[in-house]
Amino acid sequence: MLRLARLAAVASAIAFAVPAVAAAVEIETAKGPVTLAGTPEKVAVFDIAAIDTLLALGIVPAGVPDKLYVPYLGEDAAKAPKVGTLFEPNLEAVAGLAPDLIVIGGRSSTQGDALAPIAPVIDMTIGSDVVAEAKARLTAYGKAFGREARAAELTAALDAELTAVARAAEGQGTALVLLTNGTKLSAYGAGSRFGWIHSALGLPQAREGLKTDTHGDAISFEFIAETNPDWIFVIDRGAAIGEAGSAAATLDNPLVKGTRAAKAEQIVYLSPAPIYIAGGGYTSLMGTLAELKAALAK
Amino acid sequence: MRLAALLTLALIPLSALSLMLGAASVDVAAIGHDPQAALIFWVSRLPRTLAVLLTGAALAVAGVILQQIVRNRFVEPGTTGTGEGAALGLLAITLLAPGAPIIVKMLVASAAALATTFLFLRLIRRLPPREVLLVPLVGLILAGVLQAAVTFIGWQTDLLQYIGTWLMSGEFSGVIAGRYELLWIAGAAAALAYVYADRFVLLGLGRDAATNLGLDTERVLHLGLAVVSIVTALVVVTVGMIPFVGLVVPNLVSRLMGDNLRQSLPVVAAGGAALVLACDILGRAVRYPYEVPVGTVLGVLGSALFLWLLYRQPAR
Repeated sequence: MLRLARLAAVASAIAFAVPAVAAAVEIETAKGPVTLAGTPEKVAVFDIAAIDTLLALGIVPAGVPDKLYVPYLGEDAAKAPKVGTLFEPNLEAVAGLAPDLIVIGGRSSTQGDALAPIAPVIDMTIGSDVVAEAKARLTAYGKAFGREARAAELTAALDAELTAVARAAEGQGTALVLLTNGTKLSAYGAGSRFGWIHSALGLPQAREGLKTDTHGDAISFEFIAETNPDWIFVIDRGAAIGEAGSAAATLDNPLVKGTRAAKAEQIVYLSPAPIYIAGGGYTSLMGTLAELKAALAK
Repeated sequence: MRLAALLTLALIPLSALSLMLGAASVDVAAIGHDPQAALIFWVSRLPRTLAVLLTGAALAVAGVILQQIVRNRFVEPGTTGTGEGAALGLLAITLLAPGAPIIVKMLVASAAALATTFLFLRLIRRLPPREVLLVPLVGLILAGVLQAAVTFIGWQTDLLQYIGTWLMSGEFSGVIAGRYELLWIAGAAAALAYVYADRFVLLGLGRDAATNLGLDTERVLHLGLAVVSIVTALVVVTVGMIPFVGLVVPNLVSRLMGDNLRQSLPVVAAGGAALVLACDILGRAVRYPYEVPVGTVLGVLGSALFLWLLYRQPAR
């Protein structure tokens, strides 16, 4: 089965690759433009968001990390050969695979030097401007793999969803984005890694003029009571490892219950794994946007 | 005695400040007629202040007890792997039974902490008795080994940040009514240590001397270890690891008033409470309305104090 799937993947990659063979393409990466010698056929990927977007484009990676963390990537990715962890690539496995391109990003972005002797490495990290960078990566993959048309289709669908979500959010007040870790909380403002929720929705921060860290800021429950947002969007760090419902338990207290968000039942628990682990991946983005749209339209 | 009075006096304005300072802008004086102010006071401000006081006092007392047991001044629960042991236990229960109630998680963490403390004792019994600096070194190594295990498992399971936020960075930002009450047990354990204060002093004379003086050394030893483990585990699980309190406070107090624990333990407790409270208030104020973990503040302040102690008071 595994071999068959791999064969199919390689075959489809070759079939699609034929028109673009040997034409050098320049694509935009997180570290600036990179020129690829030809269309890659065998790509090892060390970033979950990258796997997500590549699969959306119909490209099945030839090598993936040992753990994919998110369930929605499907069987093709799960069956691909394993090439180590995000933090520690198994260099022998990667070399044995003989890929013609290696994609790193986010957690694995420090591994570029170690992997460079094996094959060309591109860093496709998605920073804090999540939506814009996700689109840039999508376009770059489309160009690199000769799938421009599909990439344009996906970009159009993403734009349509963004418009729909922004329309649903119109006039809905202020928002606060929270990450819960056991009993502790961090707030993520407009400039942070989850800040794109603010800009995508057009919902202003519940407390304006606050400087925020990319990695979130530790806050107390008093802070939530004081900011009194109309919407609270919760990313449950605990649930990413199967501790379902722990964020709801964390927020179940009189200080949170007194906020406008709690009174109007506008505390939204986002699926944590896609946004936390595959943040900026195409399917991840579409999934989160769908959740936001559903909550706002209620 | 004068010192005890002084510290108690310092605790009053600190506690008052702690009750007044928070992200919510309410007038605490108005709790009588403003329901929002009353809510903030009873649910957030008072529990947090109590949690800080209990934590500081219990950690400082646990530090003294451990120093008596291993007969070395440069040891604290944080430098013997007890905290890391608790973290390892908590990690294990989080992975094996993610849905377990918090009380079960705390019990597992306490058991792991206890086991770690016993391991530490077994290790240091093999050391030459005159080499006092080896004791904290072995503790640091044990803590490092356990920390490595925690990091390894955390990495494999993508739980590093989860552990880091919950356990390793000691902070009180998550403390509200209903989330800190286990610290009363830590406080009670520290109070129990006071009841047996004299026996810990005897134990500090060494095993043979203590036995000759008619002390049931095994029992006192086990009691002391139980106090240290329970305090460390409950603090780690409730607010996270808080370094240095159990080290600098007992040493400072010992320098000022000697080792008569019957007299000095209350001062140690008050000193620990005052230090942690001052650091927590600082942590609340520095990036207001966001929070800086008290563990971070103490880490900076504590390392400076520790270096000063090492410089002023070389190994006996």
